[in-house]
Amino acid sequence: MKEKKQNKHLYWNPYFGGFLLGILIIFTFYVTGRGLGASGAMKSSVVTLVDAAAHEHAESHSYYSKFVQDDESPMNTWLVFETLGVLIGAFISGALSGRIGWRVQHSPKITRRRRLIFAFSGGILFGIGAQIARGCTSGAALSGMAVLSTGGFITMLAIFGTAYLFAYFFRKNWI
Amino acid sequence: MGPLIPNELISFEWSSIIAIIIGIFFGFILEASGFSSSRKLAGVFYGYDFAVLKVFFTAAIVSLIGLLYMDYLGYMDMSSLYVHPTYLWGAIIGGAIMGIGFVAGGFCPGTSLSAVAIGKIDAIVNVIGIMVGVFIFSELYPLFEPIYNGYFEGNITLVDSLGVNQYWFVFILTVVAIVMFAATDMIRKRVKKVFY
Amino acid sequence: MVNRKLVKFLSFRYIILATILIVLAGSLVLLPKYEQQEGISPEELLSLAISPERYITTDELADRIINQDPSLLLIDVRDESDFKKYSLPNAFNIPLKNILNADSESYLNQDAFDVILFSNDNFHSDQAWLLCNRLNYKNLRVLKGGISNWFNTIINPKKPTENMASNAFELYTFRKAASIYFGVAYPQKIIKKPVIKKYVTKTPTAPTEVQKKVIPKKKKKKMPIEGGC
Repeated sequence: MKEKKQNKHLYWNPYFGGFLLGILIIFTFYVTGRGLGASGAMKSSVVTLVDAAAHEHAESHSYYSKFVQDDESPMNTWLVFETLGVLIGAFISGALSGRIGWRVQHSPKITRRRRLIFAFSGGILFGIGAQIARGCTSGAALSGMAVLSTGGFITMLAIFGTAYLFAYFFRKNWI
Repeated sequence: MGPLIPNELISFEWSSIIAIIIGIFFGFILEASGFSSSRKLAGVFYGYDFAVLKVFFTAAIVSLIGLLYMDYLGYMDMSSLYVHPTYLWGAIIGGAIMGIGFVAGGFCPGTSLSAVAIGKIDAIVNVIGIMVGVFIFSELYPLFEPIYNGYFEGNITLVDSLGVNQYWFVFILTVVAIVMFAATDMIRKRVKKVFY
Repeated sequence: MVNRKLVKFLSFRYIILATILIVLAGSLVLLPKYEQQEGISPEELLSLAISPERYITTDELADRIINQDPSLLLIDVRDESDFKKYSLPNAFNIPLKNILNADSESYLNQDAFDVILFSNDNFHSDQAWLLCNRLNYKNLRVLKGGISNWFNTIINPKKPTENMASNAFELYTFRKAASIYFGVAYPQKIIKKPVIKKYVTKTPTAPTEVQKKVIPKKKKKKMPIEGGC
């Protein structure tokens, strides 16, 4: 009976998903001349929030001021629209396979609270890292690799390398 | 002759609509490949599920080979594509911080967004965390600026920096990736299964 | 039966997919590499070719030589024997058949000078112009009419008849003066040679105004002064 046990959700074959993702990257480059991205939209949201809360601060600040323009909202960028699409597309896929629902996914060995704390702190680290490297796994590593960008390869190696190095310390969270 | 928008074969106004369409496909592929599940993502670091590695490298190789063929056949000018700039230490340090964040939080921005769409609360918390991280970075920007702007090598490709022939590099990368896929399958058989 | 075959086929699916990928990547390495068309596109070349800007008149060129315009680089695309017989002052000789040589490139492909191509007429210099544009070189112009036109206008200008417009006379005086500068000795003017030297030394004071097209007029003003001296 134990042999029959399997994961709750069945996903695509990873090679199939990877193939489609590769085709999508080719299409994106063919149409727009640039790659995919995800963290850029979050940066735009932060800039918008800071701009709304403290306009002078955003104007004078050396980093926000790069993205704040008087005539245009920082949300009006390619990446923000793409991110909206990601939300829609993921929702469609989840709805088709019945994966939608409010829940916290965590290992049975840890509490829900611990999972959320780690998700939050991991997010903070990812946010800082994505700004320093100018892109996340999709923007820098994946799209960078598609055009053989040196920076993309270095970022990819750095992400997976350190993640493997530190995986031991976080093993309780996952297995 | 692509790319279409920079060469003004499609007018710029369409770019937002195209962005949404591309995003829909991106989100769909991510979710359907199981990237909305943090435990599936983290599996790559513990050997019980190598979906991330497989998807990631399959996508990279397919897109590389496809782009090179399109360049070869003249459908697209590869030199006019946007190449991610190389800031040597920014990429290393940023990547290292992201690596820790990845194994701690179990998400990267793209995957957490697709998980937000299906209602994962940990993903929502993760996205808020990323935004807080961006906020912290921005506020402490003067501190990070030497790394952020330093060691700029230009928008270079591996052809420039290693001096290798791009076709040979892609061929070797393909072989390496296929060997890696086979190896991960063997590792997975030895590791205790984890169900999630 | 079909089902079993399918199952057997599917058990090899990853090996088949891997083989396809390796074959695709390998054929990238093995495919014959050809030089992708670089340089100017046909449309751009056409727009340059029909532009009047690509010609320089003999008058304009004479003026710029007299004014010792430092940005001028004269390239004679005729044969070496023709070049030895007669050529413009300070011209370099790059025969048309050598135009693609590696050592020609340093002359033709640079930003600092205006390259003026000339031959006996327009024909060979136009061909040289086309070849150099195809290589995406910049700042190339062709001397309109070539050396023969140079003889007809500068060295041996036609005297305007009485009923012609006044600027034809101005042009004539300028050409006449230029021809003296370029070493044509008119019997009655031999004495005036020192004057011309003076004229030459004077001119570098205003080398910036040189490139305007009103040149003949400007010269006309200068000529009487010199004559008065």
